[in-house]
Amino acid sequence: MPEFRTEEMVLNMGPQHPSTHGVMRFVVHTDGEVMRVAKPDVGYLHRSIEKIAEKLKYPQFMPFTDRIDYLAAMNCNMGYAMTVEKLAGIEVPPRAEYIRVIASELNRIASHLISVGVMGLELGAVTPFLHAIRERETINDLMEELCGARLTYNYIRIGGVAQDLPAGFAEKTIEFLDHFVPAVDEYNRLLSYNKIFVKRMADVAVISAENAVDYGLVGPNLRASGVKWDLRRDEPYSVYPQFEFDIPVGTGEKGQVGDCYDRYMLRIREMVESSRIIKQCLAAVPDGPVQTKLPASLKVPEGEAYVRTESVRGELGYYVISDGSDKPYRLRIRTGSFSAMSIVELTSRGLMIADLVALIGSLDVVAPEIDR
Amino acid sequence: MRRYFLNIWEAISTIAKGMGVTLVHFTPARKSITIQYPDRTPVPVVETLPERSRGMLTFDPDVCDACSMCAMTCPIDCISIDRERVEGAKGFVLKRFDIDMAKCMYCGLCTEACPVKPKGLEHTREFEGATDRMEDLILEFIDEKKHRELVEKALKKAEKLKAAQNEE
Ligand code: SF4
Ligand code: SF4
Repeated sequence: MPEFRTEEMVLNMGPQHPSTHGVMRFVVHTDGEVMRVAKPDVGYLHRSIEKIAEKLKYPQFMPFTDRIDYLAAMNCNMGYAMTVEKLAGIEVPPRAEYIRVIASELNRIASHLISVGVMGLELGAVTPFLHAIRERETINDLMEELCGARLTYNYIRIGGVAQDLPAGFAEKTIEFLDHFVPAVDEYNRLLSYNKIFVKRMADVAVISAENAVDYGLVGPNLRASGVKWDLRRDEPYSVYPQFEFDIPVGTGEKGQVGDCYDRYMLRIREMVESSRIIKQCLAAVPDGPVQTKLPASLKVPEGEAYVRTESVRGELGYYVISDGSDKPYRLRIRTGSFSAMSIVELTSRGLMIADLVALIGSLDVVAPEIDR
Repeated sequence: MRRYFLNIWEAISTIAKGMGVTLVHFTPARKSITIQYPDRTPVPVVETLPERSRGMLTFDPDVCDACSMCAMTCPIDCISIDRERVEGAKGFVLKRFDIDMAKCMYCGLCTEACPVKPKGLEHTREFEGATDRMEDLILEFIDEKKHRELVEKALKKAEKLKAAQNEE
């Protein structure tokens, strides 16, 4: 019998591939159906947002923060505003703080909905995605009422928020939440407990707590590996300390701690926790102004500041250096998706090719956030 | 062996559960939430959008006082303003006010910066700006005729002011 020549095959997945979230490329070295390694190649969506910041005045940069992570624009707005406020010593009125938290948590639900919907979509279940999108649509409508845009909100300002809550916003939000929490159960019946889905996700691409910390994973991906670390709780900012909410962590309910299923389920749980925060927040919003009056040309004193907030994809950090002028001297953004990409190479070793999609989906990376 | 059949049974039963959820959506208890855009909506979509919706920009030359705050605030320079001083009148008179809607990112910073009330520059709710020529998206608000009108208006205003001062 002639001997079969076996050799490694190199496959390109992306840059334009329907199951990668945006434009990114994986160089997959395969041995049959099994991957030797998948190397992520990022940078296709680099828009030099950090450089743009150096050319713009502080308030002018706000719309660009929308585009760092287009699924969680509110959280990105908030992080930037907080950094400049820290550097310039600007006080935020309490009402604005509450509105910020309401908006960012709503945004967190919207983003997680996309994330869990897309996870199903990538594994071949199309219907659940439409259910998720349907719920998100209501959030988009609420956001449009609040700030006039559906995706790139540009709502939070340095020193507050752009506009007060519109009339009837609180009632509509509560109505949505009352509908949404039972809808999560429905969604679970539809997808989360589906045996085929569970089999595809459980025990796949396990990331141990040690590796998660070593590779700098943040946010839901870190917590799914069993590390209880949430900046909203561990390094509280804004008005988060006043609210009661749990930090879900991965428990390995269907497989091992830190597998794809844990990362998926964690997001479902976080949506419910976010609903709790919004409800408490709406009940506690004080009256008052929503914006501090700033000078027409905002000059920020010389110095540097780093502020990190818990965005939807984990720690979102802004580092601003000011030389005392009205433009940042340097601005640097640290995002969760970037570090999540770094662990793909390690985790992909020995996975089936089809599971790579599950891994990427469960890490919930957003391409523009990787590259900025 | 038992495990094998159990797996099959679990797969079937959980799919059935999911199908149950789907079936509920066929009953009249769940109304359809989609609409037939654009031609079969009961009212035009524009009218259903909330008040604050940020659509195409609109400009009112008659209230604008040509301060050019909006052009300076825009992060991507899509507003171009030319203005000139007119002999005998105070301040500036607009000669050109163009907004490049193709560049605009609908951020709303310019409308926030406008100091006059009512605002000279504002978002409408109109969002259907698709066109097959890029140039159509450059909105030119001041033409020759409007410019002359504005000059006359400025002169008249100055005259009135002078008359009022003389009376005193
Ligand atoms: S909406 Fe934003 S991008 Fe558009 S003209 Fe105004 S400031 Fe410029
Ligand atoms: S900011 Fe308002 S008043 Fe000033 S030039 Fe622009 S539209 Fe006119």
